Amino acid sequence: MRKRPMRKELSFLRSGRVTAGAILVGIVLICALFAPLLAPHDPQEQNLITTLTPPAWSTGGDPTYLLGTDSLGRDVLSRLLYGARVAMTVAVAASLGAMLIGATLAHLAGYFGGKVDWVIGRAVDVWMSFPPVVLSLVLMTGLGAGISSVILAIVLVDWTRFCRVLRAEVLVTRRQDYVAAARLVGFSHWRTLTREILPATMPLLITLFSIEMGIAVIVEAILSFVGMSVGANQSAWGQMIADARQTIYESGWNLVLPMLAIFVTVLGFNLLGDGLRRTLDPRLAQAREL
Amino acid sequence: MNASMLEAKNLTVESRLADGRRLPVLSGISFALEAGKVLGLVGESGAGKSMIGRTIAQLLPPGFSVTAGSLSFAGRDLVRMGAQARRQLLGREIAFIPQEPLGALNPVMTIGAQFGEHLSRLGIRAEKRRRDEAQVLLEAVHLPRAVQLLRQYPHELSGGMCQRVLIAMAFASRPKLVIADEPTTALDATIQARIIGLMGEMRDAYGAALVFITHDLRLAAKFCDEVMVLYAGRAVEKGETRDLLSAPLHPYTRCLQLAVPSLSALDRDLFTLPGEMPGLARLAGLHGCRFARRCPNVGEICRNEEPKLSPVAPKREAACFRTEMTLDIKVPNQGIPAQPKLASPLLLVEALEKRYRSRRGLLACTELAAVDGVSFTVSENEFVGVVGESGSGKSTLAKLIIGLETPSSGRIELGGHDASDRSENARRRRLESAQMVFQDPQSALNPRRRVASIVTQVLEAAAPRLPASARQLRAEELLAEVGLSAELGARYPSQLSGGQKQRVNIARALCATPKLLIADEIVSGLDVSVQAQLIALLRRLRRELSFALLLISHDLAVVRKLCERVLVMWRGKIVEQGVTAEVFARPRHPYTRELIAAVPGE
Repeated sequence: MRKRPMRKELSFLRSGRVTAGAILVGIVLICALFAPLLAPHDPQEQNLITTLTPPAWSTGGDPTYLLGTDSLGRDVLSRLLYGARVAMTVAVAASLGAMLIGATLAHLAGYFGGKVDWVIGRAVDVWMSFPPVVLSLVLMTGLGAGISSVILAIVLVDWTRFCRVLRAEVLVTRRQDYVAAARLVGFSHWRTLTREILPATMPLLITLFSIEMGIAVIVEAILSFVGMSVGANQSAWGQMIADARQTIYESGWNLVLPMLAIFVTVLGFNLLGDGLRRTLDPRLAQAREL
Repeated sequence: MNASMLEAKNLTVESRLADGRRLPVLSGISFALEAGKVLGLVGESGAGKSMIGRTIAQLLPPGFSVTAGSLSFAGRDLVRMGAQARRQLLGREIAFIPQEPLGALNPVMTIGAQFGEHLSRLGIRAEKRRRDEAQVLLEAVHLPRAVQLLRQYPHELSGGMCQRVLIAMAFASRPKLVIADEPTTALDATIQARIIGLMGEMRDAYGAALVFITHDLRLAAKFCDEVMVLYAGRAVEKGETRDLLSAPLHPYTRCLQLAVPSLSALDRDLFTLPGEMPGLARLAGLHGCRFARRCPNVGEICRNEEPKLSPVAPKREAACFRTEMTLDIKVPNQGIPAQPKLASPLLLVEALEKRYRSRRGLLACTELAAVDGVSFTVSENEFVGVVGESGSGKSTLAKLIIGLETPSSGRIELGGHDASDRSENARRRRLESAQMVFQDPQSALNPRRRVASIVTQVLEAAAPRLPASARQLRAEELLAEVGLSAELGARYPSQLSGGQKQRVNIARALCATPKLLIADEIVSGLDVSVQAQLIALLRRLRRELSFALLLISHDLAVVRKLCERVLVMWRGKIVEQGVTAEVFARPRHPYTRELIAAVPGE
């Protein structure tokens, strides 16, 4: 009887974030998956006669190039669609890798505590004392350019984020009596970790994963901007921005469109992450039950 | 007759749901409290007693509002008072003593700073005068070294000391009315008695009226002039404490009284009130008397008509149609408890020690013995109680025996095997013969598992390939054993009441059919009726399943009721042990005597 009644506006907002985020991410994902079907042109096909065509709706636009062409006469829309493939591949693979490493170490550190926790904690401390941008650039130079190097660099830089945040959550759950009770009914450490602790940390894990995907998209854009991601025979959003710098005064669209693509994708991931955090948070979920 | 300090007339508080329905939280509450008197509000959790305190402070949760009646303080209407005027009253003329003393103090400010802030709000500006005043007030609540205390932070004090500080602060403004909401529930019994005595002293010194909210009838009996018993948002009985408790007129009061275990009434069984108080949502559709479903004296009229609180004797009011039958309620005989097999020791603890190291600074290291050379045995099917105040090492002892902590030295033998063996095999063997029931059911039940899955967790570990139907069958069996219906198996712990959670907690421990059950404070913090139900449950299970119990509790009366033997722990040592009846009747150690003296109502 002392529980607060749920406010209607809040529950709408909560589900609204998830839907909005899921729609944005879904659109980008469809673009990435079906890029060969959706793209009107080959993204690498140059047409030096029609360079820097403005988008179809502005004066001088050409309906065959819906979003115009770049300085080499390549179709911007097609390049954006193929760029989504690179962005999504990196987002999914890099976040998954960072999550696997970070979450595993976090659970080990938080569950076993003591020396295990100390070693993992210090490793994270040392790792995090490198500036992330420098670390990723050093890694990229060492690994060489290419999409798999980008993924590896993000995994190696960002696993610490998962580890830090999740370890705190594992520690909180570890102190609950039900974890001790599980040990007392004869659960092995592995079973206790997977059946009692992991379900409790899962909401946070999903949320972090979603936010990490947004971060991965940005990092990939930065690295392809400086030419350390995909080669010149593939299109990536960062690369498109880099290319468009030279012709910024003749054709602003070329700069704005890939930026918009990055913006929409990251916004989608962040909305999704934030919405999921709100719906999956056990404290909020409990309030909803009443 | 004095003018009343606090007066409620037909006070009604309702909660508005999202769909516009209104549910009565408090209905038709009337009372008048004179200066210098203590009114006790008694009832189980959910009865609405705290809601009265909140209404006075205007701290009702969102969606709750006063919809009828009046509440006046010294002639001023509290319900329709403006926010400005109310702020002037609260903390000055009306003071509060909270339930959780540590939670009510700011952890990052010293006691002195918080006291000073409060005094400056009361209009004492000069720094030196505030310090002097604080010192005087702290000395009035018998706190030693007041000057030093003012420089300390809340976490450096014990719970009892914090509560005294808060009482000193509450009385700093010479309030006319003090609301104390379960002020001693979070404290040890020994401190409880001192806090109650102190509140009485302060009341006499300042002539304030006190509203004392409690679920403990024994405390109310000791401290209050008048008692109002609440049930499901209604006052069911009201009267002067002595009259009311010596001859209750409402069956609910009588049942509560019979459910309270006592140190002196040796051979009386506890009354177990069936079922639970109806929740807020169920109140709306209820006809007739709200207590009818659980009442042993229920008649035809009770189911159809709702009794009004009406005078039955001088200064006595009760809301019951059949008050003349109330005193006939007797405790049914629950049979002779099973006898322990004293010949065969099940648990043997010898010179057990657990030391903790705490770092102070870089090099200095102090050792603290939580358990210090403890030796005892528990026989098969024997119920043994461990009593002592918090910090005496009771809980550490339990964790050492079950293997959640490793002893520093000493020996534990369980069912003939050495329990200090750390190997996985030895661990499994130990868990087959001993299980633990945790103190806080909230934290002991995984909120993401269904009840059926929780109670059969043992099977999940021992036989992972067991078909789901066999597991479900065992779950239903266990639920029936602890007196829960099978349909609860599909629920989540958050959908259960406190008493139901504790039953699930016990069922899980019983799944492995252990020979020894270690229970850490499993009945404290629960309502008396639930407590009596659990005590009856443990006694029945003992007859049916035959196991030994090591019951850790600070409630001596509960131990007296359940256990044949008792160990008294003090600062990590067992200072006295023996047959419960003898130890409590003729305590030898001064600490045992102190514990017994602190039990209210004896």
